[in-house]
Amino acid sequence: MSAFWMVLLSVTAGTVISSVLACLPGLHIYNVMGALVLGILALEGTAHAVPADVYLPAFTGMVVGWSMLNTIPAVLLGTPDESAMFTVLPGQKYLMAGRGFEGTMITAVGGLAGAFFLVCVMAPLAPRYLPVSQQVLKGHMHWVLWVIITFMLMSEWPKGGNRGPAGWAKFYDAWKTLLAGLATFVLAGLLGFILLTRSPVNHEVAFQNIMPAFVGLFAIPWCLLNMISAAGVPPQRIAKSLEINGDVILRSVWSGGLGGGIAAYFPVVTGGVGGMLAGHATAQRDERIFIMGQGVSKFIYYVGAFMLMFVPGLNLTRGGGAWMVKALYTPMGVADYYLVLGSIAIAAGLSYLMMEPLTKLTLKFIDRFNYRHVSTFALGIILIMVYAVTGWVGLFIATVATGIGLLPVLFGSRRLNCLGILLLPIACNMSGFGETITGWLGLT
Amino acid sequence: MKGFSHFMSGVAVASFGPWAIDAALNGNPLFFVLGGACGILPDTLDFKFYRFFYEHDVYVTPDPKNPDPQYVADEYARAVALAVDEKRYVRVKLVSIRLGADFWQQYSVKIDNEKLEVLVKFGPVVNTGQVPVEGTENRYPTVARAKLKAKVIQTYDAGMKVDIFDGPTIGLKPMENGDLDLEFLPWHREWSHSLTIGAMLGALVGAGVWLAAGWTPAWQSFVTIAACYGVHVVEDQLGHMGSNIFYPITKLRTPGLHWMHSGDGLPNFLTVWICCLLIFWNLYRGQPAMTYHFGFVHLMMVGLVIPGLVFGALRWLLNRGQKVVVAKGDDADDEWNDSKAAG
Repeated sequence: MSAFWMVLLSVTAGTVISSVLACLPGLHIYNVMGALVLGILALEGTAHAVPADVYLPAFTGMVVGWSMLNTIPAVLLGTPDESAMFTVLPGQKYLMAGRGFEGTMITAVGGLAGAFFLVCVMAPLAPRYLPVSQQVLKGHMHWVLWVIITFMLMSEWPKGGNRGPAGWAKFYDAWKTLLAGLATFVLAGLLGFILLTRSPVNHEVAFQNIMPAFVGLFAIPWCLLNMISAAGVPPQRIAKSLEINGDVILRSVWSGGLGGGIAAYFPVVTGGVGGMLAGHATAQRDERIFIMGQGVSKFIYYVGAFMLMFVPGLNLTRGGGAWMVKALYTPMGVADYYLVLGSIAIAAGLSYLMMEPLTKLTLKFIDRFNYRHVSTFALGIILIMVYAVTGWVGLFIATVATGIGLLPVLFGSRRLNCLGILLLPIACNMSGFGETITGWLGLT
Repeated sequence: MKGFSHFMSGVAVASFGPWAIDAALNGNPLFFVLGGACGILPDTLDFKFYRFFYEHDVYVTPDPKNPDPQYVADEYARAVALAVDEKRYVRVKLVSIRLGADFWQQYSVKIDNEKLEVLVKFGPVVNTGQVPVEGTENRYPTVARAKLKAKVIQTYDAGMKVDIFDGPTIGLKPMENGDLDLEFLPWHREWSHSLTIGAMLGALVGAGVWLAAGWTPAWQSFVTIAACYGVHVVEDQLGHMGSNIFYPITKLRTPGLHWMHSGDGLPNFLTVWICCLLIFWNLYRGQPAMTYHFGFVHLMMVGLVIPGLVFGALRWLLNRGQKVVVAKGDDADDEWNDSKAAG
């Protein structure tokens, strides 16, 4: 088989598989990629060794398909992964108005626009400009993290204190949510210190050690909330037009590109933070632009971070997908870069085409069953996934993380504070005092 | 401006201090954190602290069990009468109506100065996402009216719509001609938005640092805090609402330059982006062994002018022959809604 067909088939297979898997709540494509990497490593040196021309396009397709289609469980089932967190509230608004289809498709258009921006605008410029910026910024990554943490904590506004006479009682009522937010951040950070220093997860699946915590912090609380309080989902309409034009797309790329770009480029800054920055940086009043911007941001975060590894002359590894591929392969020059860019373009088009039928299928599922039952089913799948990948220890970690993840739900504070799990320990490590803190905690 | 724009401006201003970059290269992020925090601090003081201690003369608190628009109209008229009769500044709180865990009765207050009336209309029930609940739009079809004792002059178009979480405060200030000047959120951009307060805060922290660590970090802290706090005040002055720039020397807000609204997309994005470029430039200058070299003009051309022109050209192409309607904003209204919507 010629290299062309091999690449095309691989990227198609990777995209289709990840697009379908993305509809399953709780399962992250990095879990699947991790298992595949272990398999490929095991086959190395045998007659059945998998060539890079097969797994590179396949992995690219997987990352692309996932970054596009993980909108479906986030918007329609209310089980977001961390990067899709900001699509849930506006997405569920659409769902409750009978426009869930539009909500997911607008995000998908954002993903497609993000792919265009990445491949046609960023990719040609990246080899020239990113090595320069890397040289300037390499000693400054730690304070960028601290600055992001500061903004995250300072930009949450009080929700209470709305009535009654002025005074301390009102102040305390208002600050309950903020204190809960701070507590969430600190507790998640402590959990992060434990998991990153002395993870109880079996060393054979050590690369998945953070997965159960993420599921517990972000997906399980949504499921529980939906099971307890879900109102009936109204019948869903399939819109003939998304009522978007080139201008809306352009402005979405502008907002989402910045947030997603920052998240892709800076270490530990995740898609959720990128989504928050995308929303804050551009002050868009149009809800469609916000939702589409989240689609752009999410795509650029996942796929852009993966692409960075292949940019000639940059030598930068960002994101779980790239780190896993790095265990198998070291990129060599422009040929690999073009291979990955071509794969991104094909996979983006393919996954966009899969978005419509898979959204309709999920909507049919929601129409047919009570939303509470759908959420219970989603929770069941999530727990099975966690158990399958990390066993009972993983379920225990997920339970602890769920306790922390429920704090924002109960107090109405910001869910993004759960990202303290990564931000706090890694910022401390990068600034050089992580070991002191793990010493205080008795972890080292 | 939006909180993020102020925050990034603070970080950018901090990056102009060579000491901040030296400290960062040695693993100390404090000056940059201080810069960002002080950049957003004036709004933090208002929205997270001061407003909960702000006393009101009239609390308009509709009964959630029996929401009555006429009550709101009558109370509003009473507050106006109070300001006129007692010739003093009257502070009114329009309290939101919470109907359930996730449901709020929306209402709006409008002034008709021609007829000297206040008009109150109850809208739909909305959820916390501000989405109307179907079938609740016309539960209160009548518009309640009450006569006002004086004209209420509103110099900017902040919509007086009350729905989720907290309701707004308005101040009614008697003017010499007998009319009342309406101030939306009078507790906002008062003492906190002052260059003097920024300098005082810097001096206070600087004094503490001086005692703890000596003169050099003390003046560096002072300069960082005062400058980053000050840039917030200066940026807000570009909008409509203005700030009380030299409190406690000045007592009133100085009206803004009316160049932009605080929630406008383009100015906010440009601020954030230019700040990113300035930070980048300052880090480049502070980097000891660069193999790549470029000038400031080159950076601005590549990072701002060329992408800006491409973006402008694309927008022009995409919008040719179409009427682009951009939602109009208002400084106070934007910031108020922003504080409620930020999740």
